[in-house]
Amino acid sequence: MESLYGILHGLAVAIQPTHLLYTLIGVFIGTMISHLPGIGPSAGIALLIPVTFGMDPITALMMLTGIYYGCMYGGAVTAILLNTPGDAAAVMTVLDGYPMARKGRAAAALAIAGVSSFIAGMIGVTCLSFVAVPLAAVALHFGPTEYFALIFFALSTVGALNGNSIAKGMMAVFMGLGLATVGIDLQSGVPRFTMGLSQLQDRVSFLVVVVGLFAIAEVSRMVEGTLGGTLHSVKVEGKLWFTKKEWRRARPAIFRGTAVGFLCGAAPGLGGTLAAMLSYVLEKKISKHPEEFGKGAVEGIAAPEAATNADTCGAFVHLLALGVPGSGATAVIMGAFIMYGIQPGPMLFHTQPDLVWGLIASMYIGNIMLLVLNLPMVGILSKILYVPPGILLCLILGIASAGVYSFNNDVFDLYLALGFGVLGYLFRKLDVPKAPLLFGLILGHTLEQSFRQALTISNGDPTVFFRSPIAAGLLFCAAVMVGASVWSKRRPVKELQQAEERIAQQRLAEEQR
Amino acid sequence: MKSLRGDAQLAIGVIVLAGVYLYMDMRLPEMRLGDPLGPKAFPALVGIGLIVSALLLLIERRHKVRIDPLSAAKAAPTPDEPGTNPGNGVKHSPLVLVGMVMWTALYYFCFARVGYLIATAVFLLGLLTYFNRKRHKTNIAVALGFTLVFDLLFSLVLGVPMPAGLLSI
Repeated sequence: MESLYGILHGLAVAIQPTHLLYTLIGVFIGTMISHLPGIGPSAGIALLIPVTFGMDPITALMMLTGIYYGCMYGGAVTAILLNTPGDAAAVMTVLDGYPMARKGRAAAALAIAGVSSFIAGMIGVTCLSFVAVPLAAVALHFGPTEYFALIFFALSTVGALNGNSIAKGMMAVFMGLGLATVGIDLQSGVPRFTMGLSQLQDRVSFLVVVVGLFAIAEVSRMVEGTLGGTLHSVKVEGKLWFTKKEWRRARPAIFRGTAVGFLCGAAPGLGGTLAAMLSYVLEKKISKHPEEFGKGAVEGIAAPEAATNADTCGAFVHLLALGVPGSGATAVIMGAFIMYGIQPGPMLFHTQPDLVWGLIASMYIGNIMLLVLNLPMVGILSKILYVPPGILLCLILGIASAGVYSFNNDVFDLYLALGFGVLGYLFRKLDVPKAPLLFGLILGHTLEQSFRQALTISNGDPTVFFRSPIAAGLLFCAAVMVGASVWSKRRPVKELQQAEERIAQQRLAEEQR
Repeated sequence: MKSLRGDAQLAIGVIVLAGVYLYMDMRLPEMRLGDPLGPKAFPALVGIGLIVSALLLLIERRHKVRIDPLSAAKAAPTPDEPGTNPGNGVKHSPLVLVGMVMWTALYYFCFARVGYLIATAVFLLGLLTYFNRKRHKTNIAVALGFTLVFDLLFSLVLGVPMPAGLLSI
């Protein structure tokens, strides 16, 4: 009942004209970003954070959140028309979306993707509303021991499940934790790892790291793409709708995809790619026509698209109820929360009900806006695919530089962002995932404080982490997650490999034309 | 570079980095003040974690070599991340990227000294001339338009004045 009142209260906040306008701007920018190959939601949000500095936090967060789910919504467009997923999570949509488009059914494929995303988004937000409140109520009883275990669990999962190597995931987590230790230690007042630089005393700026690691590093990827060749897009022709037969096949897949996606999102670090992959594999396994998968099966578009959008909502459960991000993009949004002086977590539902419920309600409204934006206007919006990458990469660098400088009015931040851009490039070349570093950086401070507080309370007895049933349970879950990851990485999923191979082969073929 | 050799280099690099980090940690003063751990313990655990993960990477690498020595020797690069357009096996000169980083560093050096308007317009024009060739009018319009719009956006709308540099004289 509390959730229902909350949603109604949130709707009253979200329908204020300013909030509606910024939600629309957010979802529109998100859709545009998703159409730009190479820029993901994390980079998009990071680039836009500086623009929101003067805004009211509720408005700013509605816009940033809109960018996130707008990005997830539109990721399918490039996957279907260009054989290139707009974001990593849309990788599975390539498998059936592009073949369907090549058969002359591009409009139907886009419509299926749009409707699946809408339904999953609406169900996902409803689940978020009803799950977050009880979870936050439980989390209110968490002490430093439980918080340490919770963050340890989140970091273990994100380290183990991101990328192709557990060692590299762990490496990125520890690098993030190391970065989080830079600055003055709040408990002792000792400056740590500042190398005598006063700019580092107040810790490494989160925004600088995100912009460097995601936005500036992405530019290098675009440089390689620009020099490598051009992109070929399938034209959208005919009525933007699907047949009754297609809808009958897609409907159950959407609901199953939503369930899989929300559950994946609710587990920190699993991410949209895994959600899409699991839903695709599930559909293929239970389908009466498994032979059609990979050749333009409607379920192969509906299920992964529903899963990625429901995953977005699931990722917010952790962020709002526990103060632990569920994905790379929610980690960036959590950074924005902190920059506005708001600490996400269980207290948020009591201290900032307008913000939490307003944000949740804006997701309902944003989903409706996205459906309206994406269905009739997909042809117009997809024109952005033709913006020359040479111009785009220059604009990204320009926006990133202006944004980073405006944060502290200090050129030092620009050099730091460039350094992180180079690091991001090396991460890509060496196949090291970036999201775990972000998790380590953003959660490192709380992890250390919880660790030290728990040991202070227990007079330095480390068994305190196993005496609390919740903490012990979470640590056990972390061990299970890591074990499961080791096992699963020994047997790579065939469908994901197939999707990646197809993207590579298609590009090769198109460039040989 | 996404090869087993690259993994070994990465692991060694991380071990060196962790060594420097641990050395700096050891030099921090001991200030416990009722805190049984003090400011040094957590970073020490992080440093050890870095070394363990690097060793784990070396073990992973060894395991891969043992399972499939042929493919390990070939070390074919995996398909790039989604959203990329890697090209038809064309070898991109790393000098382009190095040049771009240096050009960006020069831009940042001039950012406050020369001023946002001049530095950004020249920086963007330089990049556009290389990456968007033979479209001089578009490039000039984009460089000047972007710089002006962002200067106005930050100084007037967001209340963050960008450095005026030479134009302040």
